[in-house]
Formats: sequence, structure tokens, C-alpha cells
Amino acid sequence: MDNTLLISLSQQLASYRSMDVIANNIANINTPAFKRESMKFEEYIQQSQPAEGETGPQQISFVQDKGTLRDLTQGALTHTGATFDLAISGKGYFTIQTPNGDTRYTRNGHFTLDGNGQVVTEDGGVLQADGGAVTVTNDDGDIHIAQDGTITGARGQLGKVKLVDFTNDAALKKEGASLYSTDQQPNAVETPVMAQGSLEESNVQPVVEISHMLDVLRAYQTTASLTQSQEDLMRNAIDKLGGAAN
Amino acid sequence: MRTLDIASTGMMAQQTNVEVIANNLANMNTTGFKQQRAEFQDLLYQNIEQAGAQTSDSGTVLPMGIQLGSGVRTAAVSRIMTQGDLSNTGNPYDLAIQGSGFFHITMPDGTDAYTRAGNFALSPEGQIVTDKGYTVAPGIAVPANALSITVNAQGQVQASMPGQTAPQTLGQIELVRFPNEGGLAAQGDNLFTETASSGSAQAGVPGSTGYGTIQQNYLETANVNPVAEVTALITAQRAYEMNSKVVTAADNMMQTTSRMGGS
Repeated sequence: MDNTLLISLSQQLASYRSMDVIANNIANINTPAFKRESMKFEEYIQQSQPAEGETGPQQISFVQDKGTLRDLTQGALTHTGATFDLAISGKGYFTIQTPNGDTRYTRNGHFTLDGNGQVVTEDGGVLQADGGAVTVTNDDGDIHIAQDGTITGARGQLGKVKLVDFTNDAALKKEGASLYSTDQQPNAVETPVMAQGSLEESNVQPVVEISHMLDVLRAYQTTASLTQSQEDLMRNAIDKLGGAAN
Repeated sequence: MRTLDIASTGMMAQQTNVEVIANNLANMNTTGFKQQRAEFQDLLYQNIEQAGAQTSDSGTVLPMGIQLGSGVRTAAVSRIMTQGDLSNTGNPYDLAIQGSGFFHITMPDGTDAYTRAGNFALSPEGQIVTDKGYTVAPGIAVPANALSITVNAQGQVQASMPGQTAPQTLGQIELVRFPNEGGLAAQGDNLFTETASSGSAQAGVPGSTGYGTIQQNYLETANVNPVAEVTALITAQRAYEMNSKVVTAADNMMQTTSRMGGS
């Protein structure tokens, strides 16, 4: 098949995936602590045999999607007033023990209490403090969570929320439900900073996403018209050459 | 096309968001109403290329992989149990809770329900009941000839009787707390019931450690902040619009595809 068509196809497939990534960013515009992603592309060069009348080898370059790059900038903090909403300011992740016993990490600090008084995520994953789970009883009264994560109730200190960090946090794998998993060893954050009664917003910026979306759309349409011209060219050639034979 | 599905999850999530906000605004003047908030989570990811996969024998690895998300879902609609403002009504049977706790209501079928709305009244038999006529536990009867009734901060109900100087104690209103108030199930009519996630009810005297106190002649207003709700409504509406733009873009791409080679 003709190289022009194949090059166009490589661009069109890449556009489709780009569009998926942008759609996912926009869909998660209100997901707490969601980190936007962008698609990275790479040139893929193929050497082809010299055509008749040409001397050196020719190069054609295709496009291929190389990876999704996560933008780890901090989202804005919004005040919610809920006692167990925690926003991390700066670096770090909360450690969560899922109901299956897996360890996961998240920056989404929307926690509540479960029926046993444990601090949990929406899906029942248990927030890990320095000494494991934190249990709050009715006798604790109003709960205060200090900037460094120390949880205090009327009976005194209940625990200290553990914040961890990783050497390469771009390599954390997204698991959905705002959770990440990794094989890397977590390191405790030296000076954790968190805000009680606040949540970190998604760092998706509507303007950026919509303009990327238009970019991708236009690039896709341009390539499609390139494909069309190539096809016209071939049709023309067939007509002309076919006509000459008659 | 995956983009369409992703954008539709976004639109559905924003629709839920608007519904929750509408309910908050509709209940702006409901006694003891607690505002709700929709919580979102990203959906599962498809791993197309795994970050950290080896790229050579010498141990070099891919610095980043390709993970394609599949949209968003509403994880929970949580209730924010902050204190509402107290407004003076002058009605002796209007009680507001200042602090934590719920009034304990006995339903006609004998089950238990809990409420923060203290707009009580007297039944034909002289019992303190809710505006629906359900008994406020433990069931305090006010004598028909009582001159006035006082409920103090600790929940003691006293009546001054004709010809007596000392007030007569009629009963004690207790408050109920839960390990996780956000886990209570709303039943409408300002009533909540216990669930597995709320934990079991623990009764206590108002004013004791961890329990709020009672304010007679006052009602607790809804804790809905209209300005915050309207701001949230604008955000939700714009987010909905943006997701619909993605649908349009995806549609455009598909149209372009179907027109390719079609002349």
C-alpha cells in the first residue's frame, strides 16, 4: 500500500488516543486530586528502498504514541468544612489499605468514618496513620487534625496521618477511584502539610483541554483531507493511464 | 469510539452534581436540613504500555507507560453535618440542638428514627410529638393545665403548674450520637435511620461530653450556603457543557472518517 496512506493512518490512530486522554481529563474536571494527563508522541523512522531514479535511501517517518505524561502540579484547595476532608499541600500521598488488603496511595483526601469509627475512603479503604488505622469514638468529641497530620480528640492524640512520597512518582500506576499502586518503596515525607476541611481540586484546566481538543480535531481533519487528495491522485492516475491503454 | 463513552460519563456525573445542588437549594429553608455533596472518582484505566517495562537487556526501563482512562463516576453523595444557624421562633416546643446529636423519634410502627429538626408540638393526648405526630422519645406528656413549659440545656422538661411555686419535672429528652453521622439513611420528612455504616446509636444526656445542648424557642436552620451552592451550580453547568463539546468533537472526527474516500 502507499506510504502516504500509512503515514496518515499512523497520525489518525494517534489522534484517536489523544482525544481519549483529553476526554478523560474533561470528564474528571470535578474529581478531587485528579491529575491531568497528556499524550506524548514520537517519530518512528523507517528506511525504505530507493525508488527508481533516486540515489540514496529514503526515510519516512510515522508518528506513534509513546506514553501518557501525568501533570503532577498541585490542584487548588477548596474549603468543604467536612471534618475528615484533608487536602495535601505540597508533596506526598496518603496510604490506604483497601478492603482486599492491598496497599494503595492517593491524594484524594475525602475521608469519612465507617460504622466502627475507622477513618475510611468512600470505598471503605482504611487510611493509614503511623500506627495503622485510626479509630474515633463518640467520646472524642470534635476532631482536630493539625497541619502535620496529628489527629486530636477530647481524649487526646489518636494518631498521626502518614504521608509518603516516591523517588519517581510519575511512574505510579493509576488504579481508578483516585488510587495509585506501585512497587517502589515509600519514603515518609519529612514536613507533611495538610489542611483539614479542604479538598484538593482536579488540576484540569478547561481552557487548556478545549484548545488541545480543537488542535487534535483539526490535525485529524487535515490528515483526512491529505488521505483524500492521495486517493484522488491515485484515481486520476488510474483514469489517465487506463484511458491511454484504450 | 471511546471518547464518546468517556464524555458521556462526564455528562452523567455533572447531571448528578446538578441534581444534588438543586436538592440543597430546594431545602434551603428546611429545618435541620444538612447539605449534600456529590463526590467523584476516576474510572478504571486500560494499560496499553506498562511503565517500568524493560527496554533492553542492560536493564533500561520505560520511564512512562500508556494508561488510558475511561471517565468518571459518582462515588458517593455525602452529607455535610456541620451546625446550621439557630433562629429564634418564640415557640416553647421549638427545640434546636447546639452541637452534635439527634432527637430520638419513635415511629408509629415502633421503629426508631432520628432528626435534627426540633419543630415539635403537642398531640391531642398532650404528648410531645413531631409535626407529623410521631412521638419524641421517651414520650413526655404535658398536663393540660400546665401554665408554661421549660426545656433546659440538659434536656429536662419542666412545667409550672397552677398554685405551685416549684416547677414539676415531666421528663428528660435524650440525644443520640452515631460513630459516622454521614452514614445515616435519609428517609424524607427530616428523618434519618440507622445503617450498618452509621454504626449503632448511643444515647446520652444533652450537655455531657460529646453531646450538644438544647436551646428552647429556637430552630436549627438548614446549613446550606446559597452563595456556595450557586457557585457550584455554575461550575457544574460549565463542566457539563465542556463534556458536550467533547461529544461534538468526537462526532466531528467520526464524520470526517466516514467522509474519507467517499467522493
